[in-house]
Amino acid sequence: MAKITYVEFSGKEHVLDIAPGTSVMQGAINHNVRGIIAECGGACSCATCHVHVDDAWVERLEARSDMEDAMLEAVVELQPNSRLSCQIKVTDALDGLVVRMPAKQV
Amino acid sequence: MSTSTDGAVCWDPYRPDFWMDPYPVFRRLREEAPLYYNEQYDFYAVSRFADVEACFNNREVFSSARGDVLEYIKSDMDIPGGMFIWEDPPLHTVHRSVLTRVFTPKRMNALEDQIRAYCVRCLDPLVGAGGFDFITDFGAEMPMRVIGMLLGIPEQDQAAIRERVDAALRTEAGKPMEVGQAVYHGEGFEDYIDWRAKNPSDDLMTELLHVEFVDETGTKRKLKREEILVFVNILAGAGNETTTRLIGWTGKILSDNPEQRAILVGNPALIPNAVEELLRYEPPGPSVARYVKSDIEIHGRKVPAGSAMLMLVASANRDHRRYPDGDVFDVRREGPPHITFGRGIHACLGSALARVEGRVAIEELLRRFPHWTVDLDNAKLSSTSTVRGWDNLPAITQHGGARRTSAAAQAVAAPKPEGETWDLVLATPMGPQPMTMTFARNGATFAGAIKGEMGVQDISGKIAGNTLSWALSLTKPVSIKLGFEANVQGDEMTGKVKLGMFGSAGLTGKRVG
Repeated sequence: MAKITYVEFSGKEHVLDIAPGTSVMQGAINHNVRGIIAECGGACSCATCHVHVDDAWVERLEARSDMEDAMLEAVVELQPNSRLSCQIKVTDALDGLVVRMPAKQV
Repeated sequence: MSTSTDGAVCWDPYRPDFWMDPYPVFRRLREEAPLYYNEQYDFYAVSRFADVEACFNNREVFSSARGDVLEYIKSDMDIPGGMFIWEDPPLHTVHRSVLTRVFTPKRMNALEDQIRAYCVRCLDPLVGAGGFDFITDFGAEMPMRVIGMLLGIPEQDQAAIRERVDAALRTEAGKPMEVGQAVYHGEGFEDYIDWRAKNPSDDLMTELLHVEFVDETGTKRKLKREEILVFVNILAGAGNETTTRLIGWTGKILSDNPEQRAILVGNPALIPNAVEELLRYEPPGPSVARYVKSDIEIHGRKVPAGSAMLMLVASANRDHRRYPDGDVFDVRREGPPHITFGRGIHACLGSALARVEGRVAIEELLRRFPHWTVDLDNAKLSSTSTVRGWDNLPAITQHGGARRTSAAAQAVAAPKPEGETWDLVLATPMGPQPMTMTFARNGATFAGAIKGEMGVQDISGKIAGNTLSWALSLTKPVSIKLGFEANVQGDEMTGKVKLGMFGSAGLTGKRVG
């Protein structure tokens, strides 16, 4: 299990144990974290699971794919640490990861 | 029988009267038969949000490979290659990702200016006409122009294409869809594809002709002509009628809820949220079907392999377990997103386009027509097996009505028809405080929003002759209630603001929009 901290835009924090192999998006959906829609269910085709990854963690994640880059181009509040949470697979190495929700997804 | 008072709840999806207002039956289904079975047509249905969402996300059991319309699933028809909406992975993944690449949210958002231009072209001629039809004058036009532009179809041919594609998806009232009618392969688009192949442009058609992808056999290749035909056909169908329905529902729902409309007129920043609420409240596609590949237990009962399952999206969107007061239309609603675009690998590819079209359409509509009343006696609602909405929805606009009949003209001569924007300055003891007020008049009242250092706040007030009065409660820097009274002369406003125990301040304003 990896401890992942999800911070809603309101500031509300959820510290959750997520099983390795699950995506960061799925972890949020499974625990009803507000602020992630994930319309496409993890297919990298809707850009509604956008998160800002804590700066300390950006370099430790696998790099974005071309497709993720293309989908991210249109999100609200695009930042260098923007990711689609469906594309971040949880591993034990991500224990302690912190992600923040943008103001809105669409 | 759509419902009965004493017996078990029953729902016939082919009864037109049921579709006029399906929500009472949906509510009963959710409470009394969360897993519903219809013997007559031999299908199952789920109606609660959690169940609909679970079905969408369980593609191992709930397959799209036989189509997503009840009649197709029951018929076991052949599906043309490339029809990605009716495929399962891995084939679906291959085809869908090709389109995802050329259909990114950024590209859709970049269409905003063109979408706005199409809206202006539809709406400007209607100003002063007395009324218009939400579908024929607007809802059927703009989405067709947008998708036509995307596909590179010349304007003069767009209407003919739309007619053909829409007709293929239309069902006769009270009858199931005839299988075969929609199994079309893109007839009618061949000429455009061949022409674009020789004359590349920057449209989607050109992109489809040139995109390279790895197919299900691992071969890197371009799309075949017949695959492009099927893609283009799906896009033309999906991009036209659904958005047309959204615009129709906008006309109906905002006419039914004038106070909600006034909120949007006064505060257009709420329009994106209103689009989501409209999509939740009356989804253009109210149900989606899947083929059940293996036995599954739902609410303690077995749904056997080989069944057809209907997911009642429109019911899920009003499930009180998910949406408190789900039957209330509220443009300020916050909370969990609707499921109108579906979930999972088949979630609507065009959602970003639909959202920008919906937003721009409402912005341009309200800018010209802050009031209207729909004429339901002359409106026509239709429900096909895929979409539900208005075929005709005439509306009487207050502005135009005034011009049309002289008696009405005298009665409503005074109110300004459109939303107004004013720059205000309060001469307070702490120095001048600028504010911007936007509002729409509605008889002796008005509603809108006021923006200043304190943020944005909704206001509503009264109109007496040339005098406007309204109140505003502030919590910062101190808790205080401000009482405004202003006299309007043309584009100038002068008045007073009562500042509670702090006395009063002068008010001046200029109309800026």
